[in-house]
Amino acid sequence: MTATVPPDERHEGAPAGRPERPVGPLVARAVVFVIIAGAFAWGASGLDASWARLRSAPGDGWAIFRLMWPPDFATELDRGVIGKVLESVYIAWIGTILGAAISLPLAFLASNNVSPSFIRLPIRQLFNAIRAVPELIVAVILIAITGLGPWAGALAIGLHSVGTLGKLSSEEIESSDRGPVEAVEACGGRWISRVRWGILPQVMPVIISYWLFRFEVNVRASAVLGMIGAGGVGAELISQLNFRNFPEVGAVLIITIAVVIFIDTISSAVRKRIIAGGAGDDQSRMAVLFGDLVGHRGG
Amino acid sequence: MTADSSAPEPAAPGGPGGRPKKPRRKPLTLVVVVGLVLWTWFTGRQVGFDLTTFIDLWTNPLWEKFWPVPWEWVLDRDNVIDPLVETFQIAVVATVVGCGLALPVSFAMSRLTTPNGGTYWVTRVVMNIVRAVPDLFWAKLLVTAVGIGAFAGTWALSIFSLAVMVKLFSETIDGADPRPLEAARAAGGRHVPSVRAGVLPTVLPSYVAYSLYIFELNIRASIVLGLVGAGGIGRVIEAQRQYFRFGRILGVLLIIFVVVFVIEQISVALRRRLV
Amino acid sequence: MIELKNVSVTYRGGVKALRNLDLTIDDGEFVVVVGLSGAGKSTLLRVLNGLVPATEGSAKVDGIEVVGASNATLRMVRSRIGMIFQTFNLAERTTVLNNVLMGRLAMVPSWRSTFGLWPAADREIAMQALERVGIVEKTYVRASNLSGGQQQRVGIARALAQQPTLMLADEPVAALDPVTSRQVMGDLARINSDLGITTLINLHFLDLAQEYGRRLIGLRDGELVFDGDIADVDDDTFREIYGRSITAGDVLADTDT
Repeated sequence: MTATVPPDERHEGAPAGRPERPVGPLVARAVVFVIIAGAFAWGASGLDASWARLRSAPGDGWAIFRLMWPPDFATELDRGVIGKVLESVYIAWIGTILGAAISLPLAFLASNNVSPSFIRLPIRQLFNAIRAVPELIVAVILIAITGLGPWAGALAIGLHSVGTLGKLSSEEIESSDRGPVEAVEACGGRWISRVRWGILPQVMPVIISYWLFRFEVNVRASAVLGMIGAGGVGAELISQLNFRNFPEVGAVLIITIAVVIFIDTISSAVRKRIIAGGAGDDQSRMAVLFGDLVGHRGG
Repeated sequence: MTADSSAPEPAAPGGPGGRPKKPRRKPLTLVVVVGLVLWTWFTGRQVGFDLTTFIDLWTNPLWEKFWPVPWEWVLDRDNVIDPLVETFQIAVVATVVGCGLALPVSFAMSRLTTPNGGTYWVTRVVMNIVRAVPDLFWAKLLVTAVGIGAFAGTWALSIFSLAVMVKLFSETIDGADPRPLEAARAAGGRHVPSVRAGVLPTVLPSYVAYSLYIFELNIRASIVLGLVGAGGIGRVIEAQRQYFRFGRILGVLLIIFVVVFVIEQISVALRRRLV
Repeated sequence: MIELKNVSVTYRGGVKALRNLDLTIDDGEFVVVVGLSGAGKSTLLRVLNGLVPATEGSAKVDGIEVVGASNATLRMVRSRIGMIFQTFNLAERTTVLNNVLMGRLAMVPSWRSTFGLWPAADREIAMQALERVGIVEKTYVRASNLSGGQQQRVGIARALAQQPTLMLADEPVAALDPVTSRQVMGDLARINSDLGITTLINLHFLDLAQEYGRRLIGLRDGELVFDGDIADVDDDTFREIYGRSITAGDVLADTDT
């Protein structure tokens, strides 16, 4: 981390004028290391991970992948796997549309430069609450009530997306430049005009790129939802795995991977275009975007 | 008083004073917009989009089954608390393993710090494929391979957090200032020490912040692992769901909710302090 | 007609930006306000359109009291006061025309402006405003694609589109290079003399003030220290306002215009 100092200059009683090496950071590093090692040991203790298991696990995993080769596309195509993968994509799309449509107005109401605190704080907490429940759990409950099917999956994904999209969008709104809002105020504009002309043009490109990013995440989520009966490719994977038809499993996996990568590639290309469409260079905007996704700015 | 208050004359055809014509919308924009609307309509039909569900949801008599919550059962150690602890153990171990492995792999997958082009492309392709497989697919595959339980779940989450972490972190390395690295190389440093001295210090805060973020993701993911037999609190939910014991499910959910909420607040506070 | 009586502004946290200010400005005047940063120039302008509420005193614009006015009254007053900003404050990701049309917000029903369904008469006003500042050819260009000087002209056009009786310009040239600064100042002076719009400008550079201003107001620590004809300004006045003698940094670099 720091440039290595020759050992003979490190000993105590360094020549006059040279500061002692500070011990604070070293202690802090040691403490962090101990905490992580301790947490790891505690975690591992509960996982039934004997040495024998650890040693055989990679081999067991590899064996499964070996069994999948060569993948049996013919059977899977007969069983309509393409339709099932597409169904997952449909579910993800509708879920994202629902999430985007509901989160956008809520995000404005959750921002401190638009909305008073008695409206803002409850909506914020709502976002946090929604985000705390995984979409799969939401789907478990919805399926219990509405019955199996893709619509339950889309609803679950949409609901969960409201939480993340709402939070990210409102952070973007709060960090928008106040200047245009002041200009609208100075023209005698109302609240709605401040939002529509002062803030919306600034934040929309980034918010749309969040939507696209969420769609990428949702495609994976909806594939998983099939595993509990909410429509899509997950059900096919589960049933083939349960019957240990590994070549078919291989085919399902490869098709899923291909579709997911295809969608990721298109979506990220579109995202880059949307973000680059504004002022500022592409690279730094993407850095900001990723900073937003992990909850800090300018990273 | 108002200087320009006379009603404006409509512009003469062609426009005075070099007014530009309103540019027509690009046909591509129109195609994209119409295409998106049609696609949304089509997908909506496919998934059975139906707004009356919202009303049905509220009036559904099944909601009553969620109440009352049998707190005695929920707060029993064996029923909920132990599986919940297991959930955290999975998340902790998977985060440490995944993020630990991600450190070298990320440096190999960044253009700035990769030792050579071959390594760069191989790690990139492998990681993209790993990331394209949803986390619970990994879990189900590993359950089949190494047996039901938390062991399989930990493997699955480790793999998935490795892939996500590598993606986030390698892009941060890409954006790092290349000059310290050049300086270290100019001083005759070998590859790994040069990267360690020249790049690692600038990206380390992001690494820690991303790790905490991955930990949050893993907590949420480990909750649902049990739905496919990979250990943790999810298996309790799955078991109760089979017997339609909704009151118990609600109790479990409320506990999960509170715990996840608290952990996330702590993690967010830590991340804020870091950056 | 602007009448300030005993106006004081105290910000939250106790900072006094204006102290007991009395000021009268007649219709059609071209007034330059000078002072150190933090002397209260920006606050003075923002008191007039209510963006900063005065904590004490009375401020009347065209006979309407601004201090303590209701939201509806404030909107009405603001709709007749154009404002130009140091940082232009444009919605950069939309067209120049949309930016200028924002000047019509108070005159157009909210639902129409929200969906961008601006009435033809308002579009015409916006076009004429753009013609007056000479950048009508940029009408359909995105504001972010313009240079700083062009953006400030869009800002002026937006203010003009309000068909204002009063124009406030808060350091309108501080972010511009010397040549562009003179062009923008020229625009403002021409609008004042052609249309008779009362104009109040905050300026940092004294030579620009002397070149374009007729009446000079000097503020120091929120107090009025000079109010008079610009021709009467001498070194003593300067010392009164700035607390020191004039230096090269206080004049804009000399350029051919």
